Amino acid sequence: MRATPRSTFAAGLFAVAAATGPAAAGPAQQAILDHYAAEAKAAGAPSAFSAARGEAFFRAKHGVSAESPSCSACHTADPRNPGRTRAGKPIEPMAVSAVPTRFTDLAEVEKWFRRNCNTVLGRACTPAEKGDFVAFMASR
Amino acid sequence: MRPQPTPSPAPFAARPVPTGDPGGHDRGAATDAAINGQPARTTIAVWDPFVRIFHWMLATAVAAALTTGLLLPATWTRLHIAAGTLAAALVAARIVWGFLGPHFARFATFVGGPATVLRYTRELIGRRAGRHLGHNPLGGAMIVALLALLIAITATGTAALGGVLKAGPLAFATSYAAGSAAREIHGLLAYALLALIALHVAGVLFESRRTREDLVGAMIHGRKRGMPGAGSARSAQARPVLAAGIVAAILAGSTLVSAALSQRPAAGVPTAPLDPAYAEECGACHIPYHPSLAPAAVWTALMNGLSDHFGEDASLDPATTRAMRDYLVANAAEAYDTRAANVFRRRAADDPLRLTATPFWRRRHAEIPAAVFASPPVGGEGNCAACHADAATGRFAPAAITIPKETTS
Repeated sequence: MRATPRSTFAAGLFAVAAATGPAAAGPAQQAILDHYAAEAKAAGAPSAFSAARGEAFFRAKHGVSAESPSCSACHTADPRNPGRTRAGKPIEPMAVSAVPTRFTDLAEVEKWFRRNCNTVLGRACTPAEKGDFVAFMASR
Repeated sequence: MRPQPTPSPAPFAARPVPTGDPGGHDRGAATDAAINGQPARTTIAVWDPFVRIFHWMLATAVAAALTTGLLLPATWTRLHIAAGTLAAALVAARIVWGFLGPHFARFATFVGGPATVLRYTRELIGRRAGRHLGHNPLGGAMIVALLALLIAITATGTAALGGVLKAGPLAFATSYAAGSAAREIHGLLAYALLALIALHVAGVLFESRRTREDLVGAMIHGRKRGMPGAGSARSAQARPVLAAGIVAAILAGSTLVSAALSQRPAAGVPTAPLDPAYAEECGACHIPYHPSLAPAAVWTALMNGLSDHFGEDASLDPATTRAMRDYLVANAAEAYDTRAANVFRRRAADDPLRLTATPFWRRRHAEIPAAVFASPPVGGEGNCAACHADAATGRFAPAAITIPKETTS
């Protein structure tokens, strides 16, 4: 994470708005972004989220799991498309434009970040990574 | 009563028809000759219409049952059961006709004791055996053996259906262990039936050659060459109305009883729907496997190792984990007697937690190409519900299997 001096709450909001263009993020998604921004700030990390960084993170091969090398391995390269679990179960699209209820329940979002970050990266994701990820999905 | 080959002063002294017309299709004249005892080129109506229709329907039903049972995959079970049921109904009707039918249809006409069969066999070996208008003693013994074997096959098949597939009239009272044993016997008896059918056909061909009579044709048109002593053909009067009434009563009664018994809850089959919380949590990534598909020890190990669940972190909060584990252990394979609950108790030593690694699973899916599992509608070995419509119930009935047609995404 590059350190940005102006890592403020407002800047986070601005960054998201700038990245999304016509913002797909509703109030519920915004609350989740706010939550991660506050966490990032508390950890002294940049809290200005970037959809572009989130996209790169989403596609990156993390080289930890052979079966689940990247987020896109299950969620497909385009998050507006439905994905598929290793066990063959369909996954609803991650993009907020396709499924407006995505990223509206913090407990649910945290559950899946906990599980999937551990599976794909072999560690917990940082608040900044989560914020970028949600910003990317809200922009799609 | 038995037609004896010994020449006797007969009411009509028929000479064998000249070769070339063994079937004797000249029905009207032939019948008159038989009745009036006129010496003529006579043929006699031996096999009545019911016997002939019965014979060929039974042959068809048995052929269908043997094909679906021994050659075709389990998805044909429904047709197998239908063919078996038809065969059983035909056998019941034939038995009634064996007491109330015309002379040549009656058991009393062609069933002899062991001594009769032995004597005939010795005569046959010594080339002294005569010709019989109906069944000869060996043929009669074959009819009895075939009918008895078909009854035994029906009984073991019904028990197997009840105990293994938990369906049909015996499902309420038959354990998987008993049904499984019945199924073994059912299979062995099917091979015995095949052997008897081969002997039956060989016997018919042998006897046709020996007596220069087309016995296969006789079972189609019903007529045989007249012979001395055949006047006994008229000695027993058929009771078709009474027989039809008894057969109808037997069939209606057994249908009603079978339907009533089939309504009773099957032994050891899960009835409760899946716990909604379990279906929701675990069904997020894969089909929610019915708890009866694994023994309690496997569920405990799985739920204690959710952070590395077949290579993925599937962890839940401690309270949810505990609740799921309790539900799964309480409803594990040990609590049920379905086929799945029984066969999936046996686990692979090197991969005990994986359902698709169990010996039964591997054996039963060995012939399905890998491309089917990889195809879009299936998407993996663990997606039971792609082919088993009743996977969520834990029953896995053969009739519920449909392998989706491969689609090129």
